[in-house]
Amino acid sequence: MLLLAAPLGPARSAQPAWGLPQLMRSLASVRTASAHFTECETAPVLSAPLMSIGTLTYRAPDYLSKVTTAPNAQRFVLEHNRVTLTANGQVHVFALSQDPRIAGLVEGIQGTLAGDLPSLQQFYTVSLTGNAAAWQLRLLPKDRSLRRIVRGLIIRGSGSQITTIDTVSNDGGDSLMRIEPDAP
Amino acid sequence: MRRRGWVPLVWLVSLVACAIIAARTRYPTNMGDFLPHSASMAQQVLAGQVNGAAASHIVMLDIKGAPAPVLARLSQALAAQLRPQPDFINVMNGDAKSFAGVQNYVWRNRYLLSPGVTAQRFSTAGLHAALQNDLSLLSSELGTVMGESLRADPTGETLGLLSQFGNGGGPAMQNGAWMTANGNAALLLVDTAAPGFDLDAQQRALARIKSRFSHARAAIPAAAGAYLQMSGPGVFAVHIRNTTKSDVTRLSILALSGAATLLIFAYRSPLVLLLGLLPIAAGALAAIAAVSLAFGFVHGITLGFGVTLIGESLDYAIYLFTQTARGEPADAALARIWPTLRLGALTSIVGFSAMLASSFTGFAQLGLFSIAGLAAALGTTRFVLPLLVPQSFFAAGAEPLGRPVQALIAHRRAGRGVVALGVAAAFIALLAHQSGMWDQNLLNLSPIPQAAQQLNQNLQRELGVPNLRFFAVFKASSAQRALQQSEALAPVLVRLVAAQELGGFNLPSNILPSDATQRQRQADLPDIATLKKRFSQAARGLPFKISAFTPFFSAVAAARTAPLLTPSSLPPALRLQFGSMLVRHGAAWVVVAPLHDVTHPAAVTRALTAGGAHFVDLNQASTRLLHTFQNQAVTLAVVGSVAIFLLLLVGLRSLRRAVAVAAPLAAAVAMTSALLTLRGGKLSIFMVAGFLLIIAIGSNYCLFFERSTPGSPGWPRAVASIVLANLCTVAAYGLLSFSRIPVLHDIGETVAIGTFLSLVCGAVLSTPSNAAPTP
Repeated sequence: MLLLAAPLGPARSAQPAWGLPQLMRSLASVRTASAHFTECETAPVLSAPLMSIGTLTYRAPDYLSKVTTAPNAQRFVLEHNRVTLTANGQVHVFALSQDPRIAGLVEGIQGTLAGDLPSLQQFYTVSLTGNAAAWQLRLLPKDRSLRRIVRGLIIRGSGSQITTIDTVSNDGGDSLMRIEPDAP
Repeated sequence: MRRRGWVPLVWLVSLVACAIIAARTRYPTNMGDFLPHSASMAQQVLAGQVNGAAASHIVMLDIKGAPAPVLARLSQALAAQLRPQPDFINVMNGDAKSFAGVQNYVWRNRYLLSPGVTAQRFSTAGLHAALQNDLSLLSSELGTVMGESLRADPTGETLGLLSQFGNGGGPAMQNGAWMTANGNAALLLVDTAAPGFDLDAQQRALARIKSRFSHARAAIPAAAGAYLQMSGPGVFAVHIRNTTKSDVTRLSILALSGAATLLIFAYRSPLVLLLGLLPIAAGALAAIAAVSLAFGFVHGITLGFGVTLIGESLDYAIYLFTQTARGEPADAALARIWPTLRLGALTSIVGFSAMLASSFTGFAQLGLFSIAGLAAALGTTRFVLPLLVPQSFFAAGAEPLGRPVQALIAHRRAGRGVVALGVAAAFIALLAHQSGMWDQNLLNLSPIPQAAQQLNQNLQRELGVPNLRFFAVFKASSAQRALQQSEALAPVLVRLVAAQELGGFNLPSNILPSDATQRQRQADLPDIATLKKRFSQAARGLPFKISAFTPFFSAVAAARTAPLLTPSSLPPALRLQFGSMLVRHGAAWVVVAPLHDVTHPAAVTRALTAGGAHFVDLNQASTRLLHTFQNQAVTLAVVGSVAIFLLLLVGLRSLRRAVAVAAPLAAAVAMTSALLTLRGGKLSIFMVAGFLLIIAIGSNYCLFFERSTPGSPGWPRAVASIVLANLCTVAAYGLLSFSRIPVLHDIGETVAIGTFLSLVCGAVLSTPSNAAPTP
């Protein structure tokens, strides 16, 4: 019992102030992760919110796949600097370098997953609230073309685990993804 | 000799006429004009790519020597300064403006450009499928970005078009500019307004880039250590021209002062030294005029190279001045040496006239240039020089120059043995030469330093500039036909890409569809009422707000009646690409479509042939061209040599005497080629030209030797004149061999070695042996 409690109990209070560097370090310590997600999308062109579910796979530092299983099968893969989107039998390939908007959006999520603060700060003004057990990261885009469409990203989590990613668009749209980790 | 007062007058008038023609002549430097008139399609593509194609406008830049954020700021500042300049039609550094032109064109004209626009796509079922696709895109990471364009483009035409327009390449962005992956260089890609061969404009553009960069650097703190590197066809061409200019200036000043010193020593008269230049000056003017009249233009290469071909006319004056005996009038001396001089000049003229038959415009021009030039120089020496030489001129200092060769002639029996041994050794060396005598690597003929070639390759890789080697080429009777054929070829190429036999391709019809296709697309778009009706049916059951799609309805309505796109609708970067893919050729139009990453040339060739197009491999075409060039050069040299021998036979009316003149030349050429290929060296095409020059110049030496009588009163002066002529030639061509330009270096080396060997072999083999040798 003591052994199990040790890392949580007295050790925590002995730690120095908790902040961005500590959060990034704990995020960076995650090498691989897989999870289920549910996503709720609203947009001005939509008359009703769009719900979708699927799975996420992450491998440090720059592989991320998001496979949507319902309502439409779709596969989104980020590999290094390249995004491949397979949907409805069509394959779209983008280089992140191509479009600063796509680069910013993808980097916001991937940089958070990887705990890569310099990379995040290249695209966003980063601010953190909360504590290690319940934190909230606000990312405000620096790039003008991204700022025109996205107000910001709000990423919530607990410890080294991300629980929701909320992308708020300027046109009133919003995409909220809830993440439930698979048992390791 | 009879005085003919009218001759100098005619000479002067013709010279003025030639000068007027020369002043009004065009001197183009395009490689294409130097190529065969009957060039194959592949060769024409090659010439086009070398000359004016889009690729020749490219300048690649990198900025190094500062931290990444500083480099990015420099890149932005430089791009901002270059964009308004008329010297540049496209400046890309990765920022939004880099792509704005193409993106706007695609966005505004999506319904005329997109192959996705079909009656089926705009049916209720087609729209339903598109909307379903949109739903899944909306829920992806791209949804947020798509949201903006979805209302105006729910069928996703732009997305497909942008990837078709090659909008997927380019280096990675860092701090708002293209950077190498390691962040130590900012990268830019510039298209100059002028094509690569317009060297003056290129030089101006490059200077502007440099000065704008210095401006930008001065304005940005912490950028002091940053530096700029440039590469590309125009950069290379300007570099070559500047190197050639500086080499030619430097070396010709040295050569001139060397030869002038020798001649002053021999003549002791500056006036006579200047008179000695008259034959070649008159020859050059007459040659330019003749070529200009016959061809309508004189190629830059013809001009530069032709003057070296008629260089032997400098020797004519040397023979006349040096062989004039003390107290002898110049016309008497001329009358004495005229038969030899005439035969010597005729051998060269006959030797060079073989070039007239060449299919290479450049060779034919060179042939005519040297024939006209030598004839005019010979006429000037014959009719004009004797009138101008000061009375009682005598080359006081010449005789001692001939003494070493006099000694050689005295021991010519032994000398023959040495020459025979030398020739035998040369033949053994040539036979033992491994792996072919000819240099096949075109790059070895390039005067670009290794480091600059390396930089070029690195920048091409970093910037993703495709290495243009493979092309699909076909002809059509009109531009519209060409575009229609291009459209027909698209599915063939798409299949090849799908089969991974081809990495990618560009077609002119992707940038600008044919009028017929654009009209078809307009016809396939429904009118606004029908579209709205179908759209609401298509959206049934899907969570879309139909009212949000008004921009789509009005865009389709506008496209139905929009004026058709023409080349003038294209943004500058695309117009440049389009112009180099669809080229007017006489009355016909030729499509030259670049193919990238061809992995199965055989399969691609088969598919293209079935599709009515040729597959062109530029490397193969240029290798083949080089082969033809080499073969022709060798054939011309052989035919020329045979013609020279026949002329000698006729002129000397004796086989024995003809052999006595020809044998030393053959020996000299054999030994020269052995020396040049020593240590595994290869013969370049330029050296063959050098061989012809050895024969042209050396035949004069041998003729004078053959006519001489050792021990006679005129003999020492005759020997001295040959030695003086050779010393000047060796000085001039020997210095040329220090040039960094391969063509100058190769010819210089070949001619300097070869003419010296001709002198030695001629002295030993041509001098008659029946006369008693005198020490």
